[in-house]
Amino acid sequence: MWRTILRRALSLIFVLFSVTFLTFIVSYLAPGDPVRNMMGGRQDPVRYVFLRHLYGLDQPWFQQYATFVLHLFQGNLGYSFKYPERPVWDLIATGVPVSLKLGLLALTLSLLIGVPVGIFAAVHQSTWKDTSIMGAMLALYSIPSFVMIPIVWVIDLALYKAGLPYLPVAGWGTPLHVILPVLVLAAANVGFIARIMRNSMLEVMRQDFIRTARAKGLPERLVLRRHVFRNALLPLLTVLGPATAFLITGAFVVENLFAIPGIGYLSIQAIGQRDYPVIQATTILLALSVVLMNMITDFGYTLADPRVRIE
Amino acid sequence: MTDNANSVEQTLTFRPWWIYFLRNRAAAVSVVFVLTSLFFALVGPTFYQRLLPAEQRNLRNGVYQDYDVINGTSSAMHWLGTDYLGRDTLTRLFVAVRVSLLVALLVETLNIGLGGILGLLAGYFGGWVDMLISRAADMLFAFPGLLLAILVSAVFGSTARDLYGGTGRLLLVATSLSLVSWPLMARLVRSETLSIKSRDFILATRGLGASNFRIIVRHILPNVTWLIIVAATLDVASVIVSEATLSLLGLGIEEPGASLGLMIFRAVSKLERYPMQVFIPAVAITTLVIAFSFVGDGLRDALDPHSRRIS
Repeated sequence: MWRTILRRALSLIFVLFSVTFLTFIVSYLAPGDPVRNMMGGRQDPVRYVFLRHLYGLDQPWFQQYATFVLHLFQGNLGYSFKYPERPVWDLIATGVPVSLKLGLLALTLSLLIGVPVGIFAAVHQSTWKDTSIMGAMLALYSIPSFVMIPIVWVIDLALYKAGLPYLPVAGWGTPLHVILPVLVLAAANVGFIARIMRNSMLEVMRQDFIRTARAKGLPERLVLRRHVFRNALLPLLTVLGPATAFLITGAFVVENLFAIPGIGYLSIQAIGQRDYPVIQATTILLALSVVLMNMITDFGYTLADPRVRIE
Repeated sequence: MTDNANSVEQTLTFRPWWIYFLRNRAAAVSVVFVLTSLFFALVGPTFYQRLLPAEQRNLRNGVYQDYDVINGTSSAMHWLGTDYLGRDTLTRLFVAVRVSLLVALLVETLNIGLGGILGLLAGYFGGWVDMLISRAADMLFAFPGLLLAILVSAVFGSTARDLYGGTGRLLLVATSLSLVSWPLMARLVRSETLSIKSRDFILATRGLGASNFRIIVRHILPNVTWLIIVAATLDVASVIVSEATLSLLGLGIEEPGASLGLMIFRAVSKLERYPMQVFIPAVAITTLVIAFSFVGDGLRDALDPHSRRIS
């Protein structure tokens, strides 16, 4: 067990190293002199040297990288290029809780819908119920978020025209603002989770101990609840990582179209302003969230499945 | 699985793979759809313009801004109407699909070239070659979803535009997307190569004095070709969505170029008044994506030697 944990820890360190290194090197290789860009029309040589030193750009790349990582460990994400001498953290601090709320709500909602739908389809395997539900799930999974958004807007608009209660189409602030973006974000994940859940259920239902349970006369409901469901839930843990990755790509689109001041929105703003330190910081934060989800998956597996522990 | 006894005879009758492929009705319809889209993407704009007398043709070239019919609905001149600048929507749709397919082609070429070759090398030679390639793939895997592609196209976007204009942006999008694609391809090809390498016929070939190069190219490559084709086809669906996402976020194809993502982005703010301008590219991208998924699934069922259905 300790060897497993050690191996996991080593791979975690490698992943963290990769994320920081690639993020750093891409921005380092970025063409153009950020300080000269930043100073615009007023090129003062003294200030130029000062700013280069402030951002550590006068150091060789490996030293810059070392400082970058060291600062990361201290929770210091560096300084913005666009707003000189302002820490990056100040700029993105407001976005983190927004994106976190959006992501967690969408993940919870997609689990709450996807898991029962997957179970239902598996129980009614190869009937019209299964086929039509899985067809709908495939559609949900395939429709890109930027197509889903106009669809919900059109529905919302129809509600408004019909004089029924409707939701705000964009913005952030009240609880009502949360509903549409969370629905859109959750939609694709529902399709993904339902498919995994269905396959996982079918996998368990094929096993011998299920036949045994049925043979000894256990009611089908109990077979499903006690034997199939509990064992089928475990593989679902593995979707947390990919689902989060999915949510992040979705969040870029959803936050920008719904004008929600989250991390995805701030990243695109920073990209427009070529503010590389901010881009670096948001990239690392988002990658970290996936690393974290994968870690939860791993530990969850080790706790829940004794077979993993013995390995 | 269950009727092994009576299927032995059928297993022995050899049928070419495309018989199995065409039997899958969704895949057969999808492949016709994809080929039709490809045909119209290539010759559609020319054909559509040639329907008019020579002096009117530029009205339909997709770049000309017809200020008389801004946001026009479908008419004899502009079959699918015009956009917010009075440009012909049908021509822009053809060009956008062409861009989608071109990007997909470029990405899959890089994906097969890089991922396929590196996967073969890693699987065949093992040792430090495998170590090096697998770690490089793991580094890229650390980034969730599109994040790395977003970072790369954000940082190098303006340089690509300054150096090579629209073509530069397109190449950058393709490069950044293949950066995300190849690790998966390499991992799949590597594990299949590992299993083939240990078979007896490889040992026999080596006993006959075949060189490593010959074994890889003549004996292993033909056995992983199906996997490469299937993985690349399935990847096309996600590449099309990714390209549209990048363009929608302002990181991919720019005006005056056309991209399905860009068309949706431009029209989505006027959804209420001109829903067709969103609807047309949205339907195009959704059907393309679903069609490619079906083709990929169909190819997998027909080509995968482990899962060939006997019926």
